[in-house]
Amino acid sequence: MAPKAEAGNQAPPRIVGDQVLRFSKGERLSHWVHAVSFFVLLFTGLGVYSSLFQPAMAIVGGIHVAQVIHRISAVFFVVVVGLLFFVGNPRFHWRWLKFTFNFTKSDLKHVSAFPKEFFGGHGNYPAQDKYNGGEKINSLITIFGTIFVTLSGVVMWWAPHFPPSLVRWAYPVHDLSVFVMTAAVIGHIYLGLLHPDSRVAMSGMLNGYVSKKFAKAHHAQWYERLKNEQQNL
Amino acid sequence: MTKKMVFVDTSKCTGCKACSVACKEWNELPAEKTQLLTSYQTQKNFTTNTWTYMTFIEKYENQTMNWLMRKAQCFHCADPACLKACSSAAITQTESGYVVINQDKCIGCGYCVENCPFGVPKVDPIKKKSSKCTGCIDRVENNLLPACVQTCQPGALAFGERDAILAQAKKRLAEVQKTHPKAQLYGEKEMGGLTYLYLLLDSPEVYGLPANPTVPLSLTLWKDVVRPVGSVAVGGAAAAVVLGVFANLWRGNYKEGGKD
Ligand code: HEM
Repeated sequence: MAPKAEAGNQAPPRIVGDQVLRFSKGERLSHWVHAVSFFVLLFTGLGVYSSLFQPAMAIVGGIHVAQVIHRISAVFFVVVVGLLFFVGNPRFHWRWLKFTFNFTKSDLKHVSAFPKEFFGGHGNYPAQDKYNGGEKINSLITIFGTIFVTLSGVVMWWAPHFPPSLVRWAYPVHDLSVFVMTAAVIGHIYLGLLHPDSRVAMSGMLNGYVSKKFAKAHHAQWYERLKNEQQNL
Repeated sequence: MTKKMVFVDTSKCTGCKACSVACKEWNELPAEKTQLLTSYQTQKNFTTNTWTYMTFIEKYENQTMNWLMRKAQCFHCADPACLKACSSAAITQTESGYVVINQDKCIGCGYCVENCPFGVPKVDPIKKKSSKCTGCIDRVENNLLPACVQTCQPGALAFGERDAILAQAKKRLAEVQKTHPKAQLYGEKEMGGLTYLYLLLDSPEVYGLPANPTVPLSLTLWKDVVRPVGSVAVGGAAAAVVLGVFANLWRGNYKEGGKD
C-alpha cells in the first residue's frame, strides 16, 4: 500500500520511505476519466465511422444508442479534465502543462535514443526530469488531439447550426485527431502494460507512487530535485 | 439499364406546381403547411416530405420583368458527393444514373446533408433517416415515366435515354437562345454529369444554383487521404508494439522481472 500523504490541492511530501509520489489524486482522476471516455468514444465513434463496425454496436443497444453514448462520454472527456484544471487540482495540472511545453535538448536526445529502448535495447540519453521526451510528445498529442477532436466534435454535434463549409472540414479534422491519438495510445499502452522496463511506472497512475529505484533509473533529474527540496524544507 | 436523363426545359415551364403534387402523390408524402414567400413561391427548401418544389425568381432588367421558374429536385449526379460522404453505405448509384438512399441502412448521421453542393438531402430528426427525390426509380424500372414527368402539362419535362435527351436539349437550346441570349444548359458536365439536365434562361447564379458545383475538397481529403493514411499509421503503431513484445521476449527482458 502506498503511504497516505496527499490531500486535495496540497503539495504533500514527495518522498515517503522507498516510494516517490508521482501523480496526485486529481491527476490520476483526470488520466482515468480521459482514458475510459476515450475508449468509449472510440468504440461508439467507430459505429458511425464505417458500416463494417456497425454490427458491433449491438453491444450497447444499436447505432442510435451508440451515438448518444458518444455525446455523453464526450462531455466527461472534456468537462471532468477541464474542471480539474481550474478547481480541484490546478497545482498539479498546470505544472504538467509547464513541463510538457518545455521541450529541451535533453528531451530530444531521449527521443532519438528511445526507439532502441522501445524494442528492448538500451538507449543512451541524459538523466530525465519528471517527464522524458517521449512522455512530453505523448502529452502534446493528447492535448492537441483533445482540442481538435473536441472543436470538430462540437461542430459535428450541432451541425445544422454551423455553415456547411465549416461542418465539411470538421469531419476530416475529427478523423485525423482520432487516428493520431489512437496510434499514440497503442504505443502508450504498450509502454504502460507490456514493456518490461517501463511498465513498473504503472503504479504511479494507480496509487500515485513509484519506487525510488524506478525514479532514480528513469527520472534521475526529477528525483534529485525532489530530494533537495525535501532536505531544504 | 442504360443511362437515363430528365430534361427540365424551364423555357416551357408555367410554374403550375403540378410536378410537386404528383411527386407527393406517388411517393405518399404528406402535404406540409406552406406560406407565400414571394409573389408565387410557397416552398423555401427541400424537406423530408417535399422532394421537389418550384422556385420563382423575378428579375428586373430594362424595366421589364423576367420571370424565371425552376423545378428543384435532386440532380442525381454522376459523381455524387452524398454517396462518397455516406457513413453507412446506404447511398448507391444505379446503372441508369439514379442516386438512391437505402432507408434500411441509413442511420441519419447527416453527412450527405452537409456535403451535397445543392443542399438536397434532409434528415428526419425523429425517424433518423435521410431522404430526397428517388427519381421515381420504382416507376422508371417498370417502364413508367417519373411521376413529375408524367404529369407535366406544358411539356417542360422529358425523360429518356441520356444521349437522345442530351441531343434534344442542345437542339432546344439553339432555338431558345434566339430569344433568350443568356440561355444555357446546366448539368452536362457538372458533378460528372447530372441526370436532371436543365435549360436555364439565365446564369445558374440567378437561379441560386452554384456555377461550378464540385465534390468538396474536404470530403476528398477526408475519405481519400486522412482515412487511408490514418489507418496505415494506426496499423504501423500496432505492428511496432507486436514487434516490441517479441523483441523483448527474444532478448529475455521479461525473465529478469524487469530491469527497473
Ligand atoms: C469532445 C469530444 C467529442 C465530441 C463532441 C464528439 C462528437 C462527435 C460527433 C457529433 C460525431 C458524429 C457522429 C454522429 O452523428 O454520432 C462524431 C463522430 C466520431 N467520433 Fe467523436 N466526438 C468527440 C471525441 C471523440 C474521440 C475522443 C474519439 C475517438 C477516440 C471520437 C471518435 C469518433 C469517430 C471515429 C467518429 C466517426 C467519424 C466518421 O464518421 O468518420 N470522437 N463525434
